[in-house]
Amino acid sequence: MSDRVLTSGEVVSASRPEPSKQWAWWSASLLLVVLLTVATWKLNKAVPTWSKQLRVIEFPVYAVLLGLLASGVLSVFGIKDRLAAYFRTEFFLKTGLVLLGATINLAEIVAFGAKGLLQAVILITTVFFFTWFVARWLGVEDKLRALLAASVAICGVSAAITAAGAVLAKKEQLAYVTGLVILFALPLMFLQPAAAIWLNLSPNVAGAWIGGNIDTTAAVVGAGTLHSQQALKVATIAKLSQNALIGVVAFLLALYWVVVVERKPGQRPSAWEIWERFPKFVLGFIVASIVVTVALSNGWIGSGVKRDLGHLREWFFIAAFLSIGFGLSFRGLREAGWRPIGVYALATVFNTLVALGAATVIFR
Amino acid sequence: MASEKVASRRFTHLFTEDWLAVVVGLALVALVLTGILKNIP
Repeated sequence: MSDRVLTSGEVVSASRPEPSKQWAWWSASLLLVVLLTVATWKLNKAVPTWSKQLRVIEFPVYAVLLGLLASGVLSVFGIKDRLAAYFRTEFFLKTGLVLLGATINLAEIVAFGAKGLLQAVILITTVFFFTWFVARWLGVEDKLRALLAASVAICGVSAAITAAGAVLAKKEQLAYVTGLVILFALPLMFLQPAAAIWLNLSPNVAGAWIGGNIDTTAAVVGAGTLHSQQALKVATIAKLSQNALIGVVAFLLALYWVVVVERKPGQRPSAWEIWERFPKFVLGFIVASIVVTVALSNGWIGSGVKRDLGHLREWFFIAAFLSIGFGLSFRGLREAGWRPIGVYALATVFNTLVALGAATVIFR
Repeated sequence: MASEKVASRRFTHLFTEDWLAVVVGLALVALVLTGILKNIP
């Protein structure tokens, strides 16, 4: 099984059984993926009802853990490789990303007004490049750097997934960054609304600060609710403004990777080479986004459709993270080292300060 | 021969998982938009 998110050769074929037996293994593998996906979905629904604090833990955590558990148990019985056929990280991730595009209504960028867009552009640009250069200074590997910068600057898990697709990251890198996003969102969910009250910020400024800084949507809703209803409303708008720009960042990142990072020394890639290496899911993402935006703007579809698309996206992302857990290599995680944690911490402090400044100036 | 190889490479390129995800993703979007797939939990 490859360690890259974007490879098509994930079927493990250590010893090929006869065709009839192979079909049985493939069917069993498909059944296993479906059962584990349903189990993760149920966990994701049930755990937040046990405790408020647990709401911030999102499905990637349960999915990776269940994938790891399944991998461990099947390894003990010596049948892990035979049941690996349908744990296809790349396919699930990219299909989920096309569906993610379908849940982004481009008209919302305009509807949120200049304030939301201005704050989103300022935060995404400054935080992305701050994280990018700090990570380079600390010697963090290129692809991991892109994932860290995108996740802190835009919207946490979704941005990390999108960046992983754009730069062909390793699955261990995506699991690592997703873990960091959730780890840092948990304390911020409680600290930031308390700090906003202590600083005596107006609900509008507090909401814009929360939405512009906290990375996961669940934690943004949690923090906004802890402050006030108005702060929750503004925080959601600020977060959605950043989310809406994820396609632009994915496109630019993918193009930069193909044209600059992967360029052979002294060679200029031809248009065909750029096209061949360019991740096609970005096109699917953009097409889906335009189609849904046009359909929603003209009233051809209701808001229930967007909810259904969001649920469908979650199913695919759950299957993707299960596949990541199933093939996770601890050596790959250890290789990343402690530096990304330092980068993420510094970037979060920087994001908190810039978001406070931007929110105070723009939303006062 | 060289052009055949290029044509073959371009043809097989259409069947990578990258494209498959785009086709399946957009097909699912179409099914939801047309109401064939609805009330997804």
